[in-house]
Amino acid sequence: MAQVLPSSGSIIVADWHRCKDSKEYFNKILHKKRRKNFGLLESPVMPPHVAVDTVHYKIFLSGKSGVGKTALAARLAGSNIPNMHYETTGIETTVVHWPVKLRENGRVFFFRLQLWDCGENALRRFDHLLPACKEQVDAVLFLFSFTDRTSFDDLSNQIAKWTGAPVGRVVKLVVGTKFDLFMHCDVAERDVTNFQETWSVPVLRVGGEVSDGLGDVAPLLNCLAEHLWHQDCVTAGSTRHHSQQETATVL
Amino acid sequence: MMLQHGSTQLLCLTASSGVPLFTRGASKQLPFSVIGSLNGVHMFGGGQGVVLSSCETEGGGKVVWRVFQDSVMLIIVSGGGQDGAGDIKEEEVRLQRLLENVWSCMVLVLGQDELTNVRNVERLKRDLRSCFSLIDQLLEDRQQGVLGNLTHCVDSLLPPNPTLLQEALDSFAQAADSEFGCLIVHGRIAAATEKWWRLAPQEVVLLSALIRSLTASGSASCDYPVFLPHGSPTVAHRLLRFQLLPGADVCVLCGPTPSLHSAESGMVGRFWTPLVETLRDCLAVGEHSLPKSVSLHPDVLALLLINRETRRSVSCVRTSTNRPLGDPPLPSKARCWEILKLFYIFSTTRYFNQEETLCVSPEERAQRGNTEDFICGFSHQPLQCYLVTEECKSYGLQTPQHQLFVLAPLSVPTFALRGVATQTLSDIVAGTGF
Ligand SMILES: Nc1nc2c(ncn2[C@@H]2O[C@H](COP(=O)(O)OP(=O)(O)OP(=O)(O)O)[C@@H](O)[C@H]2O)c(=O)[nH]1
Ligand SMILES: [Mg+2]
Repeated sequence: MAQVLPSSGSIIVADWHRCKDSKEYFNKILHKKRRKNFGLLESPVMPPHVAVDTVHYKIFLSGKSGVGKTALAARLAGSNIPNMHYETTGIETTVVHWPVKLRENGRVFFFRLQLWDCGENALRRFDHLLPACKEQVDAVLFLFSFTDRTSFDDLSNQIAKWTGAPVGRVVKLVVGTKFDLFMHCDVAERDVTNFQETWSVPVLRVGGEVSDGLGDVAPLLNCLAEHLWHQDCVTAGSTRHHSQQETATVL
Repeated sequence: MMLQHGSTQLLCLTASSGVPLFTRGASKQLPFSVIGSLNGVHMFGGGQGVVLSSCETEGGGKVVWRVFQDSVMLIIVSGGGQDGAGDIKEEEVRLQRLLENVWSCMVLVLGQDELTNVRNVERLKRDLRSCFSLIDQLLEDRQQGVLGNLTHCVDSLLPPNPTLLQEALDSFAQAADSEFGCLIVHGRIAAATEKWWRLAPQEVVLLSALIRSLTASGSASCDYPVFLPHGSPTVAHRLLRFQLLPGADVCVLCGPTPSLHSAESGMVGRFWTPLVETLRDCLAVGEHSLPKSVSLHPDVLALLLINRETRRSVSCVRTSTNRPLGDPPLPSKARCWEILKLFYIFSTTRYFNQEETLCVSPEERAQRGNTEDFICGFSHQPLQCYLVTEECKSYGLQTPQHQLFVLAPLSVPTFALRGVATQTLSDIVAGTGF
């Protein structure tokens, strides 16, 4: 059964960071025109009359060594992207705070997205790391690199591992990295389209220099937020109308 | 002359068969034939019952060999003193330290078993790549204000409110089922549990280096498997690290529990939220490492103070000492850190005891004799020494408890240096109990 996905921009306001009314929220995640780094004891604080709830999510970054997991986490958090490949020898988590506006009722939330990045070779060497990453995970980003065909071909295997009973509900997105290195591109646009249709999993593309900070990451973060929110609604609905859904399945 | 002046290259080979495992450092790699010869000449010595440990080249370059656990050979080649300063002796000490640190960091990441029972060389080569981040950091050694890699005394920061932080840390570590915890502020240890200080000094220094590199990435938390080169070289522990505030991190060494997720959601906020302001005060100490309440003598340009018992150090370079018009220019901040290192090596190789003799085999130590030549000729132990160069004046003194190294501007009369140094020592000790 293919999962039913929200179409892009149907739940949250796309490109909200460009709208005027978003400014006071996005200012809270910026400092001197750069993304602000929050410690675990901090979070964006709005003035008392603007009550904003924060929703927490855990996201696992999956993909082979060198594909760009650490670079993606840095990109999404707006910190410096490493230009050398140094293997990540354990788990590193990165927190991204992202304001989101719901289309339906105009409510604003801060999404607190915690990205879990674990080096592929470390995963292989130490058995306890993968279970730690899977614990209470809400979403998985499957990474492939546009410059490495095998990483693309392996996607279906990777996704299959995260489908089925033991894992529970997990949002799945695919991210193609190094899209900027088109001279070395090893994955054709047609292949990506086919893949997207077969698996009905959205594929996002990243790569290149970070320019203005928000515009680069907004499509990915909004897409992720939209799917997470949708999943929460489905989960909440299915527990509330559990009997109803069962009838539907029987039919 | 094999390498460019000022550059350092590290070679790693299997000790038994000389198979190259990796090379790091220096943009231009040494040709394979040179690497082969360097290994060959060491092997030849071995066949003759001679341990070749180091040699100098005509152009002021230096090569140091070292075999670890009969399994891995590290060779370091340097193209001469950094910035042209320091003579060949200083350079050798620096390189010896570097080799020990590199080996320890290989053990830290991979564990001793993988390095000593090599079954599959190709696999080892691949796994060694996971050490490159730390090794490169050690080779570059660019971080200003970090002297622990050299002194093997832990770079510390003395917080204005140590008791509160200590209590929070102790309870946090206890809740995480760990006896080993530390609080790192600006890359320096601001508080640590009793047991953390009982780790081997080299381990504490390496863990600090690892934590600094993790902090630099801006990540919020980590769960890193680490082996302790002395305490647990074959069984990995988990280093959990949490960024409380940017620049302030708390770490614990754990067994299988708690999970990163549960420690973060259940303990970090509970123990540390009440201390946010205390942590901010601690961050405000900045790279000075000393609380504002300690006022330093105006003639102190930079200082390194080592507590010989606890094997901790504090150091700082002051940015603005007002210099009367017409005085010679002061060395830059970066240069002061460099001079501080060189003066430390100068004093400890010639006059003072280095805190822990470089960990070498006894046979090698006999041949090496850095401190020995001078000290052996005397029946007493020097307590103070000074050095005047074109850039600044340096003064060192040691007591049973401390070693202090201070830099002062050239304008300070040499006879006044002793007074400046002794007063600095007593000011800091009285003000902080360090
Ligand atoms: N040009 C370009 N380079 C990228 C991109 N993403 C990653 N890289 C580079 O690819 C290399 C590997 O990236 P990492 O993020 O360190 O790889 P990783 O997936 O974390 O690898 P492991 O930690 O070993 O599992 C680095 O040199 C990055 O700079 C991208 O989008 N564009
Ligand atoms: Mg990585």
